[in-house]
Amino acid sequence: MQTLVINKRGQLKIQQMMIMLLAVTLFFVLAGMLVLVTQVSNLKASSTIIQSDNAKLLASKIADSAEFSCGASFGTVEMSSCIDADKVINLKNFIKEYGGGNFWGVQGLQIRKIYPDNSGIECTSSNFPNCDVITLIPINGTGVSNFVSLCGQYNVNGQIYSRCDLAKIIISYQGS
Amino acid sequence: MIQNKKAQEEMVGFALIVIIVSVILLVFLGFFLSRPNNQSTKSYEAVSFVQSMLQYSTQCQDYYGYIPVSNMILMCSSEVSCSNANNSCTCNFGSLCNGNNCINSCSILNSTLNGILNKSWIVGQGSSTKGYSLNITSSNGGIFSIKAGNITSNSEGAIQNLPSKVGIPVNVLFNWYY
Repeated sequence: MQTLVINKRGQLKIQQMMIMLLAVTLFFVLAGMLVLVTQVSNLKASSTIIQSDNAKLLASKIADSAEFSCGASFGTVEMSSCIDADKVINLKNFIKEYGGGNFWGVQGLQIRKIYPDNSGIECTSSNFPNCDVITLIPINGTGVSNFVSLCGQYNVNGQIYSRCDLAKIIISYQGS
Repeated sequence: MIQNKKAQEEMVGFALIVIIVSVILLVFLGFFLSRPNNQSTKSYEAVSFVQSMLQYSTQCQDYYGYIPVSNMILMCSSEVSCSNANNSCTCNFGSLCNGNNCINSCSILNSTLNGILNKSWIVGQGSSTKGYSLNITSSNGGIFSIKAGNITSNSEGAIQNLPSKVGIPVNVLFNWYY
């Protein structure tokens, strides 16, 4: 009779342990699933953010590339985030030779003056500097932008001056 | 006696499980909290803004032509005047301007910076920019300071030091809040 009671107690202990192990395992499985679901649901948002971030960095990289940058043309030192308007207006005429944007991996590329006030006049070699937008490749949808200074030679009362305005380089990319 | 020992063993086991679960939870928590915040491009935007702003040509001129904001800051700090187009203020080498119609460089700097900030960072509902602040200081004191919108806990900024000819360096600190 005493042996039976001890056996029963032993079984009870084993059952307790099993329930405990099951509970702990279940807890970790549920916690793992929760983490997994959160991670997966954030994947698409993360991919969009990464794409947008890369595009912003690309916008800055393009502004500092040889085809766009001022170099030391408007000062004694090389300036970063500075676009030479004369270079870009000439580049506009040869944009097809750059694969219509494939060279930089963008679908749209535009430089828009933001200060002083602009009236949205498209720049050509004949109306510069009395214009505000240089469209190299038309922007489709919304693009990403970064600040640059747009520098060029201005004719003021017959005298040639260099001046820099505040502008934004806007690019659109696949998925934007 | 044996039953007491068993109860102690069970308590130790339970405590062990509690400790293991707590450690694992802490590891999970630590992992989530220490995930890097991917805000580098936002900071890059602020840096680009500061660089572009400093290169902007103001309406003031000296012997060399239009004066960029970076030089206007130093001129304002040293209380040097500048010339507007078509007036009797004459400027010589070294940005020294003399004459009755010379303009106070600080007033031009203030209006230029206010204009640039208003056009560049649209603060308000529907905008991702909640606010911004720009502080330009030298060891002699403040040169320009502005705050607009709300100061939130999410911010990115850029700082630029401008070396001065007279040996007093100037700091430009820009922050934007989102």
